[in-house]
Amino acid sequence: MNSPFRPRKRPDPAILEDHRPLLRLLERRGLIRGGLSLGALTMLTGCDVTRPRSVEDALLAMSRLNDSVQAWLFDPNKLAPTYPASMVLKPPKFNAYYDVTDVKPVNGADWRLELSGLITDKRPWTLPQINALPQRTEIIKHICVEGWDYIGEWTGVPLRTFLERVGADLQAKYVAFKTADDYPSSIDMATALHPQTLLATRYADDTLADPFGYPLRLRMSTKLGYKNPKWITAIEVTNTYPGGYWEKLGFPWFAGI
Amino acid sequence: MTSPVRAGNGAPLWRRRESGRRLVAASALLLLAARTASAQSPTPGGMPPPAGMSMATSAAMRFPQPVRVGDLLRRDVIQPVASQNFLGTVQQIVRDPDGALAAVINLGGFLGFGSRPVSVPVDALVLLGQVVEVDAFTPAQLRQLPTYSPGSAAPLSPDAIIKVGLAKPSH
Repeated sequence: MNSPFRPRKRPDPAILEDHRPLLRLLERRGLIRGGLSLGALTMLTGCDVTRPRSVEDALLAMSRLNDSVQAWLFDPNKLAPTYPASMVLKPPKFNAYYDVTDVKPVNGADWRLELSGLITDKRPWTLPQINALPQRTEIIKHICVEGWDYIGEWTGVPLRTFLERVGADLQAKYVAFKTADDYPSSIDMATALHPQTLLATRYADDTLADPFGYPLRLRMSTKLGYKNPKWITAIEVTNTYPGGYWEKLGFPWFAGI
Repeated sequence: MTSPVRAGNGAPLWRRRESGRRLVAASALLLLAARTASAQSPTPGGMPPPAGMSMATSAAMRFPQPVRVGDLLRRDVIQPVASQNFLGTVQQIVRDPDGALAAVINLGGFLGFGSRPVSVPVDALVLLGQVVEVDAFTPAQLRQLPTYSPGSAAPLSPDAIIKVGLAKPSH
């Protein structure tokens, strides 16, 4: 059946031929390139952003712009909401880029935290040394980019305290992390110094369990879940953008909440 | 705690209504969310035990974590698929005379009517944050299980601690 909206008198196909040279200029890629705007970019998320190159560059430039706006909006003194202990989910929710059966537990006795970059005292740390540092407990919400969340109780040394203790350059731009599960990550210095940013070693008043990052993981109240690396083995303070596992695949780097 | 109203396909009504509103409001953002969600989890979680592997062996590989029985009761039980199909709620954890732990699940139903309890081994379950997944039985297999009758199995007290394996989200 013909559409009721089909015009009775159809245009002469010769019109198309008249404008052939003009139509040839309207190539698809040119259209995409020319049509890039904030609104258009949101419609492009279903495309393969790896090509054409110009589209990828434009999307990444927009993502970096978002990062800088978020960094500008970030208030280093504003605390995220905290919750009563009765709301803590025990055990917490597991997530990684692989299933739990592929978790490789870390031996806490052999484990060392290596330091590099703009840090005065680069001696590696053992677990008892880290546990002897001042501790802070935060009952905060873990919010995943996938859409789920839960409330967790995390205890550990504030990253600020640790960075001050090792003589890190607090004017540097980035704090980068390496992990035992090959999940590099990095954050901005302002977030690293936020009072609720912890190098967590305990959950719900118990030693961190293997699937959740034993012996040491990052927990921030101001960033999405994927920015919190588990099983941390090394920390670097740097001015060179370090990126991260998901960031390399196009996820936003700042990822603030 | 009241159980949420459920729609025909099993998803709680509020969840469907909410997603519907979001769809209308920002379909472009939903597209983005769908894409990032798939990127976040390239491998599915909560896979059934491989052929020939016992449920106990499979559960032991999932880093069983201590959980209070009282915290498990009334939790939603879902299917380990991206659509997170609702299967029922945890009603009881019971111990058989031979010492095996089983979960009594209130299967299916609508508005609290039409559900029936079935018993599955605790090793067939995995924890997924606030919900429980059945990874060792398909929904069809669950529906074929006989209706649970207390018999000689003894319910565990809410303060008892049992161990349940973990899984990553199935999407």
